[in-house]
Amino acid sequence: MDHFPTNWGRPRNDAFDAYNTYPFHVRPDNGPRDAFADNVQRTQQPIVTGTSVLALKYKDGIMMAADCLASYGSLARFKDIQRLHEVGKFTVIGASGDMSDYQYLQTTLDELLISEEITAADGHSLGPVEIHEYLSRLMYGRRSRLNPLWNSILVGGVKDGKSFLAYVDLLGTTYSSSTLATGYGAYIAQPLLRKAVEGREMDIDENEARKIMTDCLRVLFYRDARSLNKYQIATVTDSGVAISPSMELGTQWGFAEGIRGYGAQTQ
Amino acid sequence: MSIMEYNGGSVIAMVGKDCVAIASDLRLGNQALTVATNFEKIFPVTDRIYIGLPGLATDVTTLRERFRYRVNMYTIKESRTIEPSTFAHLVSSTLYERRFGPYFIEPIIAGLERNPATGELSPYIAGADLIGCLNFAKDFVVAGTASDKLFGVAEGLWEPGLEPEDLFETISQTLLNAVDRDAYSGWGAIVHVITKDKVISRTLKGRMD
Amino acid sequence: MPGTPSIQRPTQHQFNPYSDNGGTILAIAGADFSIIAGDTRQSEGYNIQTRYAPKVFRLTDRAVLAVNGFAADGNMFVKKVKQRLEWYRHAHAKDMPLRAIARLIQTMLYAQRFFPYYVYNILGGIEEDGSGAVYSFDPVGSYERETCRAAGAAQSLVQPFLDNQVYFKNQVPPPGRAHPTHLPLRDVLDIVIDAFTSATERHIEVGDGLEMYIVLAKGRTLQGVEAAQEISARTDGERVFVLRRDLKKD
Repeated sequence: MDHFPTNWGRPRNDAFDAYNTYPFHVRPDNGPRDAFADNVQRTQQPIVTGTSVLALKYKDGIMMAADCLASYGSLARFKDIQRLHEVGKFTVIGASGDMSDYQYLQTTLDELLISEEITAADGHSLGPVEIHEYLSRLMYGRRSRLNPLWNSILVGGVKDGKSFLAYVDLLGTTYSSSTLATGYGAYIAQPLLRKAVEGREMDIDENEARKIMTDCLRVLFYRDARSLNKYQIATVTDSGVAISPSMELGTQWGFAEGIRGYGAQTQ
Repeated sequence: MSIMEYNGGSVIAMVGKDCVAIASDLRLGNQALTVATNFEKIFPVTDRIYIGLPGLATDVTTLRERFRYRVNMYTIKESRTIEPSTFAHLVSSTLYERRFGPYFIEPIIAGLERNPATGELSPYIAGADLIGCLNFAKDFVVAGTASDKLFGVAEGLWEPGLEPEDLFETISQTLLNAVDRDAYSGWGAIVHVITKDKVISRTLKGRMD
Repeated sequence: MPGTPSIQRPTQHQFNPYSDNGGTILAIAGADFSIIAGDTRQSEGYNIQTRYAPKVFRLTDRAVLAVNGFAADGNMFVKKVKQRLEWYRHAHAKDMPLRAIARLIQTMLYAQRFFPYYVYNILGGIEEDGSGAVYSFDPVGSYERETCRAAGAAQSLVQPFLDNQVYFKNQVPPPGRAHPTHLPLRDVLDIVIDAFTSATERHIEVGDGLEMYIVLAKGRTLQGVEAAQEISARTDGERVFVLRRDLKKD
């Protein structure tokens, strides 16, 4: 049996590929051609954007956080946007970057899960590792066609008692670590997260993890001009995914009163 | 084209036990074309201070003369020879004078510093960038077109407390192996080891390709 | 369209499909072994993305591949090489020989000549005649067999050090004696560790961790190299081990 669908219905040619070892990409491509291919628009820059996403590993699993803002340049355009998304029963993704590309990804992943459930129905289900692999292939494929999805995405989850946390971006670059942050968070929150978490992942309970997360979100809100004091926190543990409703971040501005440039002084 | 790589050349200095060493290659190039293989970039300042001047060859000559002039003036005005640490600051301010139109030279200074209280001599090395930012290293300083290679080899070969002959071997191996991987440096080398009672100067043969 | 005057467009910000993720790799061949090593830091600019992202991969029991450059290309390339080796295994019921893997890699790299994998590859392992071998590649597939090679961010720091310590360049042997053509395993490991600690000291993109893969020819043992973890599929042929060390994290 020839397992390569591209060969089905074609005469076998032993002189050319006796052992069927040729990879797909060097075989003739008889796929459909797009007559308008020359005039297709590609994403060249993000338009409506989300800022940092933060994530960390703790005792029970992983925790992820993002604020609810989608900016249009410097305009705070949409202030109740969900940037954390549940994928299947074991995974949460969070995205910064272009929000329309992100919503396209959400639909793509949801369709993938539905088709897996219906057509495969083999008792297996996609966990965070598989979702991350799928996403990174998708992102790398798009960058290779010079038509990237303009996002940095965190993928976190717990399946079969194993927690997983990884990153993928518009270039297809991937990595994993016990603390992750995208965008401005990589500069501002990541050092705080590393200091709080690295080396003691198994000692941090949910309360402490929440404290670490909200502290980082607060620092980001103080310093990142494209952030908002409304946020969501998601956890993935053995008992599944829980994404919180949007919450208000407690901030203090008392100090600003005496500082020129912060307070109400006019000159 | 970087002006710092126009003529090529590299210098390194290292600290040993009661001694210092300074070495350079001998190449003078016009970009990729080698035009001389006897171009010395290290000059004596006093009988126990040497200065290496890798960079733009025209500035090597100019700075050498400027330093000679300023050291002579110092000697006359102060009626004593200059110490390495003082000379390093002289170099630094000479370069910083031309902050916005610099000499294209990254000097390396090596010498023995006399302790005014005890009279003892201790090793002293320093490097500077082209506008005179000093780097007082405790182990070694490098400069020139092969500087990154020199860093790599020196970091692997150097150890504290080397006697003069061991220091000579270490600095020579470091320089030769580094310049062999640099197209703009090489074609032989010269090494000076400064000790309490003498300066050992040796010319080394190197790869000619 | 031919004949019509070209329309002047405003210069656009072009999407750059490449990035540089730092790090350094190196490999040294012995008479009957080969060592392939890489640091585990992955960075972009001044940002450390992670302190543990492997750059060295076991392909077969006699071949190990180190990839350095743009991490996304590197991971994809390793994935594809592994896939081709699996197909070879299914077709021929044996592992591909090292020199054949080297040629395969050159073909795969050159296939992307006009949109290259931005990756420097070093392949190490054991040749069919039992000798240790190192093959090094440029991003578009030029390759040669060597005894030692460094690549990546700190190549310029490490390679001249290796010239001196492995090839004995600029060293004169004592009268009547010659330099050894191959070094013993212990010495090579020490050189590798020294090279990486030096590179870590002077290069900001190198550090965090060091992974050394040791490939041994059929029949030879580790001989006193303690704490190396075996990862070979079978123990009766060539064998692969990993040895890990911490590097400075600053």
